[in-house]
Amino acid sequence: MTETTLDAPRRSAASSAVPATTDAADRARQRRRRRRTRRWAVGVPLWILAIAFLAPFAWMLSTSFKNELDAYAVPMEWIPSPAELSNYTTVLFGEDSILPAFANSVFVALLRVAGELVTATMAGYAFARFTFKGRDKVFLLYLATAIIPAQLLLVPRFIYFQQLGLYDTLWALILPGMFTVLGTFLMRQFFVAQPSEFAEAARMDGASEWRIFTRIYVPLASPVMAALGILAFVWSWNDYETPLVLISSPEMYTLPLSLTSFTNEQGALSPGLAMAASVVTIVPVLVVFLLLQRRFVQALTHTGIK
Amino acid sequence: MTLTPPLAPPAAPTPAPTTATRTGRGNPSLPKPWIGWAFLAPNLLGVLAFTLIPLLSVVGLSFTSWNLVSGLEGIEFVGLQNFLDLAVDPGFWNAALRTVVYAGISVPLTVLGGLGLALLLNGDVPGRAVLRVIFFLPYIVTVVAIGMVWLMILNPSAGLVNQTLAAFGLQDVPGWFASSHWALPALILIAIWSGVGYASMIYLSALSDAPTQLYEAAEVDGAGAWTRFRTITWPSLMPTTVFLLVTLFIGASQGFGLIALITAGGPGDATTVVSYYMYQNGFQFYRFGYAAAIGMATFVGVLALTVLTWRAQRGRTLHD
Amino acid sequence: MTPRTTLSRRALLGAAAGAGAAAALSGCGSGSTGSPSTTLQVWGGVPAANGPQELVDGFTAATGEQVTYTRFVNDDRGNLKVDTALQGGVDIDVYFTYAAQNMALRAGSGMALDLTDRVRADPELAPYLDTTAPRATMVDGRIVALATAREPHFLLFNESLREQAGIELPRAWTVDEFAATVRELAGPDRYGTYSVPDTARVSLGANYWYAPEGGSNFDDPAFLEWMQLGRSLIDDGAAYPWTEVLARQLEAYQQTPFLQGEFVVWPTAPFNLRYLNNAEDYPHDFLVAAAPTPTTARGDWNGGSFNNFIMINPRSTKIDLAWEFVRYWVTDGAGPMLGGGKIPALDVLPDEDVLAGVLGEEPEQWFDVESFRRTLFTDEPKLMTDTILSAVPEISLVSEQQRNLCWIGEKSPADAVASIDALADAAIRRYERQA
Repeated sequence: MTETTLDAPRRSAASSAVPATTDAADRARQRRRRRRTRRWAVGVPLWILAIAFLAPFAWMLSTSFKNELDAYAVPMEWIPSPAELSNYTTVLFGEDSILPAFANSVFVALLRVAGELVTATMAGYAFARFTFKGRDKVFLLYLATAIIPAQLLLVPRFIYFQQLGLYDTLWALILPGMFTVLGTFLMRQFFVAQPSEFAEAARMDGASEWRIFTRIYVPLASPVMAALGILAFVWSWNDYETPLVLISSPEMYTLPLSLTSFTNEQGALSPGLAMAASVVTIVPVLVVFLLLQRRFVQALTHTGIK
Repeated sequence: MTLTPPLAPPAAPTPAPTTATRTGRGNPSLPKPWIGWAFLAPNLLGVLAFTLIPLLSVVGLSFTSWNLVSGLEGIEFVGLQNFLDLAVDPGFWNAALRTVVYAGISVPLTVLGGLGLALLLNGDVPGRAVLRVIFFLPYIVTVVAIGMVWLMILNPSAGLVNQTLAAFGLQDVPGWFASSHWALPALILIAIWSGVGYASMIYLSALSDAPTQLYEAAEVDGAGAWTRFRTITWPSLMPTTVFLLVTLFIGASQGFGLIALITAGGPGDATTVVSYYMYQNGFQFYRFGYAAAIGMATFVGVLALTVLTWRAQRGRTLHD
Repeated sequence: MTPRTTLSRRALLGAAAGAGAAAALSGCGSGSTGSPSTTLQVWGGVPAANGPQELVDGFTAATGEQVTYTRFVNDDRGNLKVDTALQGGVDIDVYFTYAAQNMALRAGSGMALDLTDRVRADPELAPYLDTTAPRATMVDGRIVALATAREPHFLLFNESLREQAGIELPRAWTVDEFAATVRELAGPDRYGTYSVPDTARVSLGANYWYAPEGGSNFDDPAFLEWMQLGRSLIDDGAAYPWTEVLARQLEAYQQTPFLQGEFVVWPTAPFNLRYLNNAEDYPHDFLVAAAPTPTTARGDWNGGSFNNFIMINPRSTKIDLAWEFVRYWVTDGAGPMLGGGKIPALDVLPDEDVLAGVLGEEPEQWFDVESFRRTLFTDEPKLMTDTILSAVPEISLVSEQQRNLCWIGEKSPADAVASIDALADAAIRRYERQA
């Protein structure tokens, strides 16, 4: 498995360096054919499996074009007829438009992601690449913090944030999200796996610790930082309970809170509206993912190790 | 190994730590301890201020009886009473056992599935970028959609799964969410399904950092694919695997969004795992002290597991 | 050291740490905690568009006072939000309580203003003083919450399926007649009824979970009869299979199978009528008629109750205005709430207006109007209000769990009821120990 994953580009590079005898060309052709078969032998089952992962998204999309009765009809129609656009106009431009909440969510998510990337990368680096007294104890404390169920934090956080004067402000959502334990943990696990030779060599050359960090290790870490960026964005974007308890003014609502406008008085969702809003909500997440996941591959050629 | 390209010529003003390293030049491999603290400080202060302080009050709450609506004045100190009650509460122990089953099966399978998926998605497959998004979708799609789709797929009479089983001649098809024996297995299935995309994304980000020079050396030595995986890829992924195991165990011990949505802990209490039991006691019964005590008990259990995972992986990574 | 002191000292410490940040950031908030606004703040669970907004606008037109209606989702977490906000001193003047468990906590914890004197001073509100079938929540004889709605239960019939089966629409009937009827209504492609009305409540009335001598009342035979009736109707194919109810989560969407003709009889309440007169979102082609709750040999309670309690936050800075608003909601202002199926708790509107309000603009197109007039008004459903609220959430959870196990066929009715009895008893005793 690793053969396909890591060596393919390098080997083809090597083969082009070999003198072009007919024998070698034959072998190269054979190898290409084998690679193509393998490409599809893996690709086709993966795509079939992918259908199972697409189903909820397809349901969301389909339901977003339906009226309420059809949404729960059995058996369901995957292609709604007639397809109604009215759900979208309602959630975007109706009385309970989600657009103001959309703006709040973007603001919160951008600051949270930026803050988390900076602080988690630095802290993860500190835990992994420096030795100082109390380091392991602090790290254990970090892990312990993550283990206590987050649900329990809601009410104490409400009381505490109110005393800080942050209740019903977007900062109540942003600030805790900028300093997270899991992000630090992820970055630490990455830096721990890096050889220390780079840093030692750079220190010999008289480089400062800050430059070693920003010029060597941060570029190395860019794929993991991309992953953390995606995760931090999703955590911020989909967080329902924190804003539920910490925000009360409708003009401060983030997207998950604004979706509650589309529930009836028993708390049951109005499926068409809720799913139309969810489709709109998910688009930025997909964009962020598509932009950042490219880093996973690019990094291979830009690490600058060799 | 020397290092040339990444060190660009000094740019604009260099931040504070620079001067400090200069003084520590006598022993360049050992930077001054305070530099480590300096790197840690922004995150540490934030965690202390916004997470740890509220969290300590949770620890305090577990020794009290409190129903929230009586206000801070209504907090009553009860000593170890909550923990004594917990020790003889069959509801709690049943929930704990279910959590062990739920996490014990779903977490390792999620990690394995995520690893396999990442290795495949890291290779040359048609439509790779789109596939990566698709497998990650369950992590970002609203739980409502996930719940509805799985309720349809696992419907005992008309669902896809049971119709397939029936087509293969199976007489006694599972009742899934309408059966107290099958509801937990169904949730485990969904947990794996929705977790592999997350695990594979983290693995993918780690794979792009794979030690290429080692692969080349191994290839020169004539090592086969499996040997290379076992001796290079797997050890180099060990820190990531630990991260995933720990975070997924934490997630399995805390998460209940799907349970609340699909089964609400039922039928009966068949899917009432610890996190949902805590939710019921806190958010439905308003027994916040007791809920905090359940949280502390969970904490001890997961912490023990984390420490075990930690011990098990020590010395198995590449550079540690 | 008490946790209270721990908490506040920690908070102070943190406040010092976060002070700089907080000061720098204070520009970005609505500050709804610090400065009470001049508008009246009302929190309720009904979506603003289903009546409250029109009611609020009516109040503003009549008095010139500004009111903001904030809608919360009436589920566990939504109510937690209300409780934290009330506790935390958020600017709320008037708020609503729907579920008994929330009422038990709020009424008993000083989160509701004593309204007794104001109610006494107002002859129009005299029905709230009644203690035999109370419409108000009282704590130690003091009124703390007023019901805004009455919620009689009834059984709805799909008229075309009923006529097809050649069965008379019942005007008064017993539980045995109900069972016989739904067995007859069941056919190869439909069930007779969605479920069984709570016959134990019909027999025993208010506070039916609590034994007069204390502890759980689930050893009363009425509960076993109810559980058995449900199980046997399901087993015989006369009632909707409970496995499907769980597998499709139908409890929240009962209107869907009803509108699609999957069953004939639907035991429900007026708030679900709005699914039955909306051609655009819920198209269907049959009339719906109403029949009363069947009675038992032991009682003829309707099963429904007074509900949707309105309360005033004692910390409100505008208590007189808040009271004026509460008074308006339960008297002159009640009209706009009819569209959402909320029948006023007081007799402030003529029956015909109420009927027109809950049935919608084209009643004859969707309903057998006469049957609703009879069921809701002429035959005077016997409503009730529970006054004992010990361990309500615990008991409702356990009875729901055991009912599910029994009705999906995993547990016998006798075992299920015995389990409820034991667990409810323990919950009540624990509640009393703590209170």
